[in-house]
Amino acid sequence: MKDKSKSRVFSRRNFVKGIGTSVIGTYAAAPVLSKFSMKIFEEAETESKTKESLSLHVNGKKVSVLIEPETTLAELLRNKLKLTGTKIICNQGECGGCTVLMNGKAVSSCHLLAIDAAGSEIITIEGLMSGEKLHPIQEAFIEHDGLQCGFCTPGQVMAAQAILIKNPKPSKDEILQGMSGNLCRCAAYPNIMKSVIAAADKNK
Amino acid sequence: MPRKIVKTKYFFEEDYRETIAEVSTDKYEDWKNNDTLKVVGKPVSRIDGYDKVSGTAKYTFDVDLPGMVHARILGSAYPNAIIKKINIKKAKQLEGVLEILTFENTPKIPWYNNSTFLFDSHVRCEGDEVAAVVAESECIAEEALKLIEVEYEQLPFVTSSNGAMKTDAVKIHDNGNIVGGRPAEYSRGNVDEGFKEADIVFEDTFDTQVAVHNPTEVHCSAANWDGNKLTVWDSTQGVFAVRNVVSASLGLPESDVTVITKYMGGGFGGKLETGKYTIIAALLARDLGKPVKITVNRKQMNLITGNRPDSTQSLKAGIKKDGTLTAMTLTSYSAVGAYPSWGGCSGPFRSIYKCGNMKTTEYSLMINAGRARAFRAPGHVQGTFALESFIDELAEKAGIDPLEFRLKNYSETDPNSGNPYTTKLLREAYKKGSEAIGWHQKRKATGSDTGYLKRGIGMATQIWGGSGGPPAYVTLKLNSDGSAIILGGSQDIGTGTYTFLAQVVSEVLEIPMNKMQVILGNTSSIPFGPESGGSTTAPSLSPAARDAAEQMKNKIMSGASAVLGLPENELIYKEAAVYAINDKSKSITIPDLMHRMHEQMFITNGARSVNPEHYAINSFGAHFAEVEVNTETGKIKILKIVAAHDIGRVLNKKTVENQFHGGIIQGIGFALMEERILDANTGKVLNTDFHTYKIPTIQDVPEIEIHVVSTGDNLLSNTGVKGMGEPAIIPTAGAIANAVYNAIGKRIKSLPMTPDKVLNALYS
Amino acid sequence: MNSFKYLQPKSLQDAGSLMQQNKNALLFAGGTDALGLIKNNIISPENLVNLKQIKGLNEIKYTPGKEIKIGALVNLVDIAAHPVITEKFTVLAEAANSIASPQFRNVATIGGNICQRPRCFYFRGDFHCIRKGGDLCYAAAGENKYHCIVGGDPCYIIHPSDSAVALLALDAKFSIYSDKKLKLVSAWDFFILPSVDPTRENILKPGEILESVVIPEPDKGSKSRYIKFMEREVFDFAVVSVAAVVKKSEGKIAKGSIAFGGVAPKPWHIDALNKSLTGLSTEEENITEFSKKTFTDASPLEKNGYKIPLVRNLLKRILIDLTV
Repeated sequence: MKDKSKSRVFSRRNFVKGIGTSVIGTYAAAPVLSKFSMKIFEEAETESKTKESLSLHVNGKKVSVLIEPETTLAELLRNKLKLTGTKIICNQGECGGCTVLMNGKAVSSCHLLAIDAAGSEIITIEGLMSGEKLHPIQEAFIEHDGLQCGFCTPGQVMAAQAILIKNPKPSKDEILQGMSGNLCRCAAYPNIMKSVIAAADKNK
Repeated sequence: MPRKIVKTKYFFEEDYRETIAEVSTDKYEDWKNNDTLKVVGKPVSRIDGYDKVSGTAKYTFDVDLPGMVHARILGSAYPNAIIKKINIKKAKQLEGVLEILTFENTPKIPWYNNSTFLFDSHVRCEGDEVAAVVAESECIAEEALKLIEVEYEQLPFVTSSNGAMKTDAVKIHDNGNIVGGRPAEYSRGNVDEGFKEADIVFEDTFDTQVAVHNPTEVHCSAANWDGNKLTVWDSTQGVFAVRNVVSASLGLPESDVTVITKYMGGGFGGKLETGKYTIIAALLARDLGKPVKITVNRKQMNLITGNRPDSTQSLKAGIKKDGTLTAMTLTSYSAVGAYPSWGGCSGPFRSIYKCGNMKTTEYSLMINAGRARAFRAPGHVQGTFALESFIDELAEKAGIDPLEFRLKNYSETDPNSGNPYTTKLLREAYKKGSEAIGWHQKRKATGSDTGYLKRGIGMATQIWGGSGGPPAYVTLKLNSDGSAIILGGSQDIGTGTYTFLAQVVSEVLEIPMNKMQVILGNTSSIPFGPESGGSTTAPSLSPAARDAAEQMKNKIMSGASAVLGLPENELIYKEAAVYAINDKSKSITIPDLMHRMHEQMFITNGARSVNPEHYAINSFGAHFAEVEVNTETGKIKILKIVAAHDIGRVLNKKTVENQFHGGIIQGIGFALMEERILDANTGKVLNTDFHTYKIPTIQDVPEIEIHVVSTGDNLLSNTGVKGMGEPAIIPTAGAIANAVYNAIGKRIKSLPMTPDKVLNALYS
Repeated sequence: MNSFKYLQPKSLQDAGSLMQQNKNALLFAGGTDALGLIKNNIISPENLVNLKQIKGLNEIKYTPGKEIKIGALVNLVDIAAHPVITEKFTVLAEAANSIASPQFRNVATIGGNICQRPRCFYFRGDFHCIRKGGDLCYAAAGENKYHCIVGGDPCYIIHPSDSAVALLALDAKFSIYSDKKLKLVSAWDFFILPSVDPTRENILKPGEILESVVIPEPDKGSKSRYIKFMEREVFDFAVVSVAAVVKKSEGKIAKGSIAFGGVAPKPWHIDALNKSLTGLSTEEENITEFSKKTFTDASPLEKNGYKIPLVRNLLKRILIDLTV
């Protein structure tokens, strides 16, 4: 290994220095932000600089809310609209657990600002149902046991729905690609695959 | 319902649990093959499927109580430090912050075997709990964490078992870094004599990585008090374990604590233990008089909620020219994190093969990193990778086919105890699996494949306990319309417990599945049962369910006998009604019977029987892997996995196959990509999210073929079920490693087998 | 997430001035990278300047035989599926399609993909490393398996963008809004090495905005491809990637352009290599020998030496694939 600019290469002593500033310094100096002078999700009567008004359609119903700009779509759905079928798993858009449809396309709602969904049509797992009746994709997931613990399932089902919206008769490769953003730690993948294929076959 | 109290033991997560338990001594007619049964063994859809696919299943993560407030935890930024001062003033001033707990204002509740406290002024790994904030919202709580000023005195730290073993190593705790003060040792026969008998003596060393459970639902709890009574919702694999720890920690009678887990988003062992966060939520909820929900975020989960510890395993064996094993020794070092835990991996080494001269020495070492917990087949996954790689090496030394070598050293009785097995169908598993993969037709000489994509086939063997055992209970309530409510001493962690309990009752009483409600995961309403771990749930609970159902059938028969005025031996039970054998006009349905008896509900309590004495009870199996190694990139592509297992009776074909897939794919993750990366220079974990802690995606899944070679193990219990959740993952990595060697002629002795290691092996 | 104001300019000019007027402002497109940085406290912008309301930035304009212009706000999914891009600029479509997951590609933009910050463990963790204005590169003597083998000193990141590698191979120009004008910069010049400034990956100054990428149409008869090597089959960053545009004529390469990802702190190309492609005979043996002679000046760190055979092999494979 070549000798890399020595002064900058790591040593345990200067690590202490580096990390100390990042943890204590930055944290202590973080400004107290004005939004916390009011309750989160409580709709302020008076106009506020830090809140944004937002209208969108969720599961076919128009929703108008005042939110902090940093609110994610998943937080809006779960905390404010109480649509807890949408799960937050990694909160970084890295697992697909929070997948909902935005204008017919799959998006990670935990990694999308709610404000960026303004004016759009959002469909969540709850919106796939007709009353208490399951959607054919949901039925397929039961029939083919496309789940174990079930926590990633709403996201898997919504990703499957996005595939079928794009192409009601998708190829196996299209399904594999469409489902590739949805992690399942129980690894029920073979049955998830069967479930989506079965749901697609109903369209054939 | 004959019962007795017995002293018994059974295998649970790498060790035997001794217990004195009440057991059922009822004997029921053996169930024959699943072909002869109506519901059990069939591919029945999960009865909780609707809730899960519709999004209505409420997990702890979804609990939302009126007035609920939210707590978050501040973890240590350093791997080893003394907290000199905590200034919470600024954080407290943030509007919406309700209370902050630190070691200065919190009762000293002992934790991790009295090695620390709920909050300790000495933090021993990154992420160790420093403070907890409760606030009006999650967002405020998170921002408040940033305003807590902590002054640390940083201490030197240890990040590897090598480092922990050094004589001048930093001591994580006063009594040294070896858990228990010394290694765990086991021996039988005389290894020195055994090595003398050998024609070939060979040794090798293997390493496995730290893997993190990473279930999808983060660890979380909600706590709510009504006066002195506490209700806790928890994402746990053991509601009773949590209830007991909560009541002991807070000094409450167990009757005042209810723990609820209706649904939980995966555990894999990481949720077998009570979390500090649960106690923190209960303390905060009591102080505030409000329900408190606490969640551990993904990063913290990768730091402090458990892992499969790493291992360095040195194996040595002597063999005769014909391949017979004469002596085997294993020395292992495993870094189990900052607090006492267990990192042994000798289970498979001691138990699979016939070898009279054996010695194992296992060091579990503490280092300044997150503490290990049971993770799906603890010890066996890493132990089997090393053992089965090593066995292939021995076979090659002896010039014998690896499968032949295994059969040569096949053990007809348990090598540890000398006891016979209730069943051992490993030979059948080898046969079925080798046929399915094409072992004799397709497997080429090692390294002989041409082209840059090289294919290979390999195998590995699985052993596990998984007998289950008492105490485990099921309460059955029969309603006046003939529908049933089953209360099981368990919780369903995604393995299908809800469904198989209903199947067993349905099988006996012939009540349709859709007239069955199953209640689990509520300590105040369900009878006692084990944690969902150790592959013990189905083997413990299903016999208790059958016991409850058979008793119910007896109750119905005896009631019908009284009402119809006929002796029981002239009656027959059929489709949830009783008929006179000789007089078709005489019959009674369950609703009529209850009406005549002025009853609204029949209740029975089923119990697990004791495990048979003087028998070894194990599950067995083998995985066969076909891989393709890209010698230009070092990428290992798994083409196919064949799994063949002896797991006793299959209760539900659908859920069992699904769980096999899951175990195998997690095994692929462990073999190829999963690894916690701990920075030796800073003692900090570098990969705490799903982009950097890689788990398999749907596209990493090969073709998988499952073969169950067993029917019911009727010596074991009235359902003959052995656990299969853990067997599913145990041999996968070993089979892949052997297939890779077969493909490229280079052995990768360190997991995960990432492309860099393969390339380094090929280009060194 | 920390709090911020969400500013929604309707024109590039407004966006530019908002960036200059507001301290601690961040340009915000699809947000997939920005939100990760904010959530993990790598940056704490007080203002997000959303570009999605600006008309025209999400358009693709193709001038047959000449060039294609892709607005910075075009979603990756639309690039991956665009019929002209898949046919004539295949390498870019393949690169776009290889990025993250369908959910990401539906939201992420090409501009954001080009301007994303590095994935180095230390940069993304709570280390005050050199890229965050500190003194140290923790990777140099730390966990550097994924780090660079060329161009590193004093910071050893790799540039994480797939699309940028494809654009470099295609000899694209980046159109930058700067001081009320648009200027064109080559893909190579857009990115900078740590030796120039270890805290930035590109030349954009505050107030400057990547407006579009302009890609000249490859010569008729050219073929192009992107090979992204990942540890996982999908939904992963490249360990090493190679983008190539090659025109073959009579058993020889008539013209070729190669770019590499995962080897350097910026999308990498080697002038001499591209030049020596011309006239290269396309027999496998020849290509193998040619590939072996590349990256001879690489200086790997302790744990990333494997990238040298890896990148050579990927180069070989892509040249073989494109010339059979």
